[in-house]
Amino acid sequence: MLALIVGLGSILPTLQAQNDLQISKAFDQYGERKGVVMVELTDEMLNGYDFSLFKSLTIKDNPSAADFIRKCLVRDEVGAKKVKQVVTNGVPTSIYLQLPRKGKFYRLILYNEIFTPEHKITLIYIESKDDSEDVLKLILKKK
Amino acid sequence: MIINMKYKLSFPEADRLIEKYYDGLTTGAEERQLKKFLLQADLPEQYRPEQAIFGYFAHQQVKPAFRIPTYLRWAGVAAVIALILLGPQLYVSGNHSDYAYIDGKKVSNMQEVKSHALASLGDISRSRDEVKESFKSINDNELIEQQLDIFSAVEK
Repeated sequence: MLALIVGLGSILPTLQAQNDLQISKAFDQYGERKGVVMVELTDEMLNGYDFSLFKSLTIKDNPSAADFIRKCLVRDEVGAKKVKQVVTNGVPTSIYLQLPRKGKFYRLILYNEIFTPEHKITLIYIESKDDSEDVLKLILKKK
Repeated sequence: MIINMKYKLSFPEADRLIEKYYDGLTTGAEERQLKKFLLQADLPEQYRPEQAIFGYFAHQQVKPAFRIPTYLRWAGVAAVIALILLGPQLYVSGNHSDYAYIDGKKVSNMQEVKSHALASLGDISRSRDEVKESFKSINDNELIEQQLDIFSAVEK
């Protein structure tokens, strides 16, 4: 019985790691809409990145989606380390959050919003066994 | 059918017990012994009436209870434990779906999925440069203002 509990305890967090976040609602709500690209990759080596889970959402010309995601991020910021925030005209347009570890996974949320040449929001959620600072450095180093 | 030889009586002993039984003098233990004897297969014809009394024929009609061998029971227990332990993991790996939704349409082509993933990462890394650029342009403006100030000072 103990083995069962330990086994389930180690497995279940992988099922739920992202569901505790508000941004999961953004993926659910906008992921399959027109003008949106949603990606999900699991246990994938991606150009040197070793991600256990990678989810991204790219939304074009949808300011209300940006408002919604920013509200989600305000909630997800609680307990997280804000690595970076850029505010343009009073609106956060770039936010990087290091979330508390969930089991063996480091977690990151990256958000970016640009207005030129077109309005585009990029939201990324990453789970990795690698330290999130290392992951972040790697992402920001590559172009 | 397995016959437990422990209870097997010799025919004279059995005859004696049957007589005692009809006389109503048998003990419980003797009746059980007699029953075990009469439930044996291949007894001589002469014991048919007593076999009938002790339910031999009824016993024969009853289908033997389905019994799961012990090793299968343990295998079942092991399978259930394995399912509980590995089930969620299998569920997760079964849902290891690498996909993209583009304008509401699901794409499973890995190359395409990865290229979109990399594109979104590119958006993030480029945003860093844009911030740097904006700082740079601010510095340029300051520099221009400083230069203009020099000219305005000359005019005075």
